Amino acid sequence: MNGLMTPQLIRISEIYDDGEAARHFTFEPVSGTRHSARPGQFFTLAIPGHGEAAFTYLSLPDAQGRFKALIRRVGALTSALFECGHGDLIGFRGPFGNSWPLEQLLGKRVLIIAGGIGLPPLAAVTDRLSTDGNTPVGLIYGCRSPAEQVLKHERSAWHASMPILETFDRPSNKGQLTGTPLDHTQQMSAKLGGSPEAILSCGPEVMMNAAARHFIKNNLPPEKIWLALERRMHCGVGECGHCYLGSSTVCTDGPIYSWQQLIRLQSQTTA
Amino acid sequence: MRAFLLESLEQLRDHLAAQRPLFTPQFAADSSEPSWLPLSHNTPSVAIEQPLLPAYPAKQFFFPEREILFRFDGTDFKETLPKPAPQILFGVRSCDLCAIAYQDQFFQQDPYYQARRKATLLVGIDCQLPCEGGFCPTVDAGPFVRDGMADLVCHQQGDHWLLITQTSEGEALLEGLDLKAAAEEGITQRRSQEPQVAAQFPSATHIERGIQRINQSQVPAELWQTMGLQCLSCSGCTSLCPTCSCFTSYDRPVDDGFERERCWDSCLYDAFQREASGHNPSAAAGQRVERFWFHKFSDEYIKTFGRYGCTGCGRCEKTCPGVIGVHSVMKRISATP
Repeated sequence: MNGLMTPQLIRISEIYDDGEAARHFTFEPVSGTRHSARPGQFFTLAIPGHGEAAFTYLSLPDAQGRFKALIRRVGALTSALFECGHGDLIGFRGPFGNSWPLEQLLGKRVLIIAGGIGLPPLAAVTDRLSTDGNTPVGLIYGCRSPAEQVLKHERSAWHASMPILETFDRPSNKGQLTGTPLDHTQQMSAKLGGSPEAILSCGPEVMMNAAARHFIKNNLPPEKIWLALERRMHCGVGECGHCYLGSSTVCTDGPIYSWQQLIRLQSQTTA
Repeated sequence: MRAFLLESLEQLRDHLAAQRPLFTPQFAADSSEPSWLPLSHNTPSVAIEQPLLPAYPAKQFFFPEREILFRFDGTDFKETLPKPAPQILFGVRSCDLCAIAYQDQFFQQDPYYQARRKATLLVGIDCQLPCEGGFCPTVDAGPFVRDGMADLVCHQQGDHWLLITQTSEGEALLEGLDLKAAAEEGITQRRSQEPQVAAQFPSATHIERGIQRINQSQVPAELWQTMGLQCLSCSGCTSLCPTCSCFTSYDRPVDDGFERERCWDSCLYDAFQREASGHNPSAAAGQRVERFWFHKFSDEYIKTFGRYGCTGCGRCEKTCPGVIGVHSVMKRISATP
């Protein structure tokens, strides 16, 4: 039995391209050991000789233990992963981190704001809320351009059960929305039947911070705004130190923080 | 807890060394600073009574600078837990013992650290004199060994030593030594003596004031930036700091596959937090210097560890080529209007 630093084998069972330099991966257990995870948690993938990196669950492990990830090729590890094919075995550790506060979201008007590659960490919670039946939930998805969008299949499934607005810095045709997600919040509120009572966001920090401040100004309490942060998460167990945020380690206390928690952590140091 | 009388430290040291490999601060032939070395028969008798703070703390015994975490043999990942032989660290000072306790808690879940730690017995020595740059009394880390921090504690009283057992493992090691029980008086005397030794330490008001300012966020960002300019990212401070624990890991090719090695990292390196996307939350040297000192002196960590992340050993001041060790930094912080 391997301990907390040693990966276990998993098999890549499905791969397809999904957006700019991005691929959709499905993984399945090799030994038959399944694990469970909660929306917003993450795991690590290890490729022998290339190291290890953290990724979010696009979908949680199903009854057979299969789960998915959407991965963009940005560095050495992801480049090696993109060389892998169907059936290849790689290393896995997880699940790590906290999760979206589902129990505080059910039955509330929830607005999800995603930017670019920030959509995958929101996918599992979107699945859950959009099929709840009692939770009005909407998604505003902002990207630089249509080519940057990911999760084509997932978005088309969500379209059937919830309002989605997709906006671009540089749209490719006239019918598309332009601007940032915050330019379209009123339109989304109209679709949800009122102002959002909870915000979930993941994307560039500049975008998430602007979204949080926008809704604070509109009288949403800071404990009703949750952001998923990206940090360099090496070990996943709060030891290696790389993902610090003030006195917190994002891999164990995060990656999801309420705006109330973030304000406190950010006030601890001047930077 | 029991207390005995000891004629000399060597009497205990040599008795223990006969049972297990024993490491103790000694001067290597070419060095003016003591370091942790195995006691061997040709080691000349050393003046272990004097405060001998080794250049390096004891953390490398439990959290080595490099270690293998697992191997990939071409088919599967195999954990490589260390199987350390039992050993004794003899003559650990209170500041370093407090740091070991800090790391024991920090690495609670880490099987590599715990395997080494559990194989090690600690013999502490009370410091009777301040050491150069040390300020353990200010951060409640000395000069005498705190309760429960070592297996055995030695305390000099005139021409003999008081030997205090703090664990049953420590007491078991004494078997075969013909020791007289110490009178209660000796223990009382030890307790009352600590404030007198603490009073001999130079004033540390700059440390106290600096801690206050860090916790009240009263250090101007410009001062951190200025001190950031002086940081050469050499990692001297983080390597010598007895509580620093950051590490990185990487894969190395071996004959039949790969092994994952971890090694000490430093939050003062510019790429410490840099992500694959290029985003770096601590890209400025001033931010990283601030981070280091926040981690050592923020009250936030007292909630978790019951003490600051600094145990007052002063090694960072001695080693920093940029003159931003603990005394230099805290003097500047405390002098800010």
